[in-house]
Amino acid sequence: MGIVPKETIEVTAQSIGITNLSPEAALMLAPDVEYRVREIMQEAIKCMRHSKRTTLTASDVDGALNLRSLEPSYGFASGGPFRFRKAIGHQDLFYTDDREVDFKDVIESPLPKAPLDAGVVCHWLAIEGVQPAIPENATLEVIRAPADNKIYEHKDGPLIDVRLPVKHVLSRELQLYFQKIAELTVSKSSPALFKKALVSLASDSGLHPLVPYFTNFIADEVSRGLNDFLLLFNLMHVVRSLLQNPHIHIEPYLHQLMPSIVTCLVSRKLGNRFADNHWELRDFTANLVSLICKRFGNTYITLQSRLTKTLVNAFLDPKKALTQHYGAIQGLSALGHTVVRLLILSNLEPYLSLLEPELDAEKQKNQMKSYEAWRVYGALLRAAGLCIHDRLKVFPNLPSPSPSFLHKGKGKIINAEPRKRKLSADSSENQPPHKRLITTDGPDVLRPHDHTGPAPMHVDKPIGNYNLPQNSAQPSSSEQASDGESRNGKEKERGKSRAITMKAILGQIWKDDLDSGRLLVKLQQLYGDRILPFIPSTEMSVFL
Amino acid sequence: MDPEQVDEFVMGYLKKKGFNSAAKQLQEALHHNNGGTFNSTDYHNDPELTKLIRSFSQSENDPTRYRDGYSKLRSWAYNSLDLYKHELLRVMYPVFIHCYMDLVGKGHTREARAFFNSFRKDHEMIHLRDLQKLEGVLVPSHLEEMEFARSLRQSKVNIKICQYSYDLLLQYLHRTESTLMLGIINEHINFQVYSGQPNSSSDDIDAVTIVGSFQETADHINQKEIQWGLLEDSLEDRLEKTGSLLSDSEKGQGESKDGDVDDSKKRSNEIGKQGSSLKKLKKDKAGNATAKVARQETSIVSPAPRVKPELALPVMSTDVEESILEDLRNRVQLSSVAMPSVSFYTFVNTHNGLNCASISHDGSLVAGGFSDSSIKVWNMAKIGQAGSGALQGESDTNDQNVGPNGRRNYTLLLGHSGPVYSATFSPPGDFVLSSSADTTIRLWSTQLNANLVCYKGHNYPVWDVQFSPFGHYFASCSHDRTARIWSMDRVQPLRIMAGHLSDVDVSVSLTIVRCVQWHPNCNYIATGSSDKTVRLWDVQTGECVRIFIGHRSMVLSLAMSPDGRYMASGDEDGTIMMWDLSTARCITPLMGHNSCVWSLSYSGEGSLLASGSADCTVKLWDVTSSTKLTKAEEKNGNTNRLRSLRTFPTKSTPVHALRFSRRNLLFAAGALSKPAS
Repeated sequence: MGIVPKETIEVTAQSIGITNLSPEAALMLAPDVEYRVREIMQEAIKCMRHSKRTTLTASDVDGALNLRSLEPSYGFASGGPFRFRKAIGHQDLFYTDDREVDFKDVIESPLPKAPLDAGVVCHWLAIEGVQPAIPENATLEVIRAPADNKIYEHKDGPLIDVRLPVKHVLSRELQLYFQKIAELTVSKSSPALFKKALVSLASDSGLHPLVPYFTNFIADEVSRGLNDFLLLFNLMHVVRSLLQNPHIHIEPYLHQLMPSIVTCLVSRKLGNRFADNHWELRDFTANLVSLICKRFGNTYITLQSRLTKTLVNAFLDPKKALTQHYGAIQGLSALGHTVVRLLILSNLEPYLSLLEPELDAEKQKNQMKSYEAWRVYGALLRAAGLCIHDRLKVFPNLPSPSPSFLHKGKGKIINAEPRKRKLSADSSENQPPHKRLITTDGPDVLRPHDHTGPAPMHVDKPIGNYNLPQNSAQPSSSEQASDGESRNGKEKERGKSRAITMKAILGQIWKDDLDSGRLLVKLQQLYGDRILPFIPSTEMSVFL
Repeated sequence: MDPEQVDEFVMGYLKKKGFNSAAKQLQEALHHNNGGTFNSTDYHNDPELTKLIRSFSQSENDPTRYRDGYSKLRSWAYNSLDLYKHELLRVMYPVFIHCYMDLVGKGHTREARAFFNSFRKDHEMIHLRDLQKLEGVLVPSHLEEMEFARSLRQSKVNIKICQYSYDLLLQYLHRTESTLMLGIINEHINFQVYSGQPNSSSDDIDAVTIVGSFQETADHINQKEIQWGLLEDSLEDRLEKTGSLLSDSEKGQGESKDGDVDDSKKRSNEIGKQGSSLKKLKKDKAGNATAKVARQETSIVSPAPRVKPELALPVMSTDVEESILEDLRNRVQLSSVAMPSVSFYTFVNTHNGLNCASISHDGSLVAGGFSDSSIKVWNMAKIGQAGSGALQGESDTNDQNVGPNGRRNYTLLLGHSGPVYSATFSPPGDFVLSSSADTTIRLWSTQLNANLVCYKGHNYPVWDVQFSPFGHYFASCSHDRTARIWSMDRVQPLRIMAGHLSDVDVSVSLTIVRCVQWHPNCNYIATGSSDKTVRLWDVQTGECVRIFIGHRSMVLSLAMSPDGRYMASGDEDGTIMMWDLSTARCITPLMGHNSCVWSLSYSGEGSLLASGSADCTVKLWDVTSSTKLTKAEEKNGNTNRLRSLRTFPTKSTPVHALRFSRRNLLFAAGALSKPAS
């Protein structure tokens, strides 16, 4: 039927005192009422058009009623159009927001300001077809540049935020996918399937809409499941897969992901069981961090600085647990040798002095603590070693020394190596990871034996050679000193033959060499021989 | 078939239809003739006939027949051959509205509503406003009462259709025996069958407006001859004659571009004369050269014929004449590459009360008509002189409104007793006319700031009033469906333009007149109406000489080109149409605005058209290039679009009024309306 139901007619009739209106009459009246209302509205729209407006007001309806010689509806005239509100629960029912006002409030309130009188202001809308950029011309340019807008804000009232809420529609398939992945991550029941899921996450296209959900999921689960080691590990795997996926543009979500990742790196406690190998998790996460920094460091400039700040704070706070220190060190060392040199090595000495008592088996009775301390020590050692390794890599290609030199070097290494092994082995019998570290370095060390490779030991010679004779005469190792001397002689010899080429190169890297040399010496002071295997052999060939 | 059987059938039919008295009479007559008893009718003998009769009786009683028939026809039309589809679909709309009105007329209100709603979507795009009107028709009495419905019922729709489409349609109707649809089509559609291929679907302006046989009348009226040329011995003429005599340095001064728009003409002239630097001279020469070229062009393109005035025109004082001549000499030549400057007058603090705005010919006076019955006139020249603050923002208006003496800086004209719908300045700017909802028109003097005359004549609100291009005469239009012509010295109208043609349809369709505009030669006025048409009236005879059909919603604004050849009209939907007066053809629709076009104005030499709209923009359209193109492409039958040159958005100010000054400076006015927060 029409817009006006017969109930409306009945109610209206009752309201004006007609109680015995027959239903038939109401039924007959209803369509006619609708027609009349439409007619009045049509006239009202005409009045509105002639008033050059596009919003219908009560006065327009009054005008229309006037045209029909009808009594206008009094009491609705107002300056502006009505504000209508939608009635909750109805599709197309609206009402005016008519608040009840207390008489007392009206009387007691101060008199409102008199409305301003009408006026005319003049400006150039365009000059020879070009709109001048003046305040009166609020044009597209002004909307584009919000800075300009601020100037007029006080004039035109609050600006309307143009942004509309964007509805995000997630397809059913994606929802299912997300649910499945989340389930797998949390349940930890089928590692094989989870691996497949990770592969899918790392390679599938079209997952981008899910990224915000994953970020949220990861953040939630990490904060919730700090005691659940496996869950954390799974989550970090998910993060890694997401990072690897070339179809995902994860950068905007990094700021949400980073806290979770850093938590997994430097949290005091990860997992609640003794058997949980949280060290592994920290190592894994450290790799993750380095991956992120490498990929987004350029575009997201503050990322690395913020990260290192957090990590250094954790590292330098003596109140923090050793596990946290370990995580921080691993994280920092993953960020590259400059970070290590600047942040770890500069603080190495005081830190080691702190760590010393923990390392001492006699002083630290707590087996667990001591184990942790050794762990941290291992991490530091590795960080320093890697740093030195990277430093040395930058050395220019130097002419290879004579075979005799090679021989000498070899011999020395062989000396050094067993000793260091012994040292590390007996200092911490119960540290498999440390051992692992050393053994992994093993091949490097051994490489000279199967020839091509040169003596790893010799790297420190060229470094040391300029400042060494006096400086590097360390009490720690007599061989070192003698070695230095002998190498010194060799260098001189070489220098004669290649003086011209050498000079330039050496001049360039003089300063670096100096730094590196000092660094190495210092490291040697601090670590003793334990540092030696970390001096990598790859660039040995460079010198040979 | 023997006659007795025929009688029986007639009998049965009458009974079915409920014409009981007629049936009785027939029976009696038969009795009388035969003298025997009337056999109970048995019309099962002839299956063909019974079927037909059945179908008749069913169709009368069953409202669902309309729906079935229409939906079948519709699906058939939509599945027809692409080449003929648009022609066949054109038939659907009249069938649709007549089906609906038939249903309403028979009292099946509910079915009618359901029918209407289910097929409404098909026609909404083109006929939305008609549908909105018809939607309210619910009972038979409304059909009688509503003019639109009545005119639809009484008239036939002309539809041009090619021979093959027509055959297709007839074949379909016969094959399916849809007598109901056939009946409606026969009753309300007048096919104009032509041989050959169907027209391209774009050319369906005729299909847009359903005004019945009105089209024929319009065609008939449009045959009449009109003299659209300019007045002989007009000032422009004189200028052209004398133009060659004038020396270069005196001409082409151009608009003063230093920002003091508000200054009166004379003052800027003085400045111009004083400042005769070398640079300026150069500029002048350059400007003059282009002016010459343009003038030559126009003279080649349109040697506008000269006509004699049919009205006794007022004699201009020499002072006024001189100043106009001066203005014409200094006119900036505009074209698609030379854009005008636009000066915008923004009304502030109007509290939604500004109904109309008007700008005097030289732009120095601005009048606003308000819904509180007042008229306010600002002298922008004075305001400009009083302080340089004229170009400052709204925050300063407080100080501006209250002058140095604490008085307001506008002239308040009180006299009307209803919202003021229109105001217009006489060409020299010494008088203001205003029209109001109180059915009167009032004449005000801007020198005395007083009401001089009150013209009573209209019976309903007067929507619009316009001075003739030479003053003295003015035209008004009103809700009472008339346009009237007045002279300033008489309180009674000189002419009343109403639906006085004998044809009923025309008078019916001549609904409320919206706006009025004078032809530059004063011999014609144009009126725009809510029946979506524009009419041109001969002032001398009071006859309607042209009807322009094509708008899809009510016409709100009109403008005549200065050479009198073209007319532009703007409607509620934002469409502007350019018409050729002599052929009554639409040259080109201008699409671009998306809300009511309140105002239109041609530039002084007619090369640009400016339009102001409720969508808070002023748009400039290229007239010359498009009309030229049209001439070239007319043979191809292409309708090209006028080029939209520029769009100037305002800061949430709907543009109420536009005026090109004689020097081609464009003035625009509007009320700042803050967006609802």
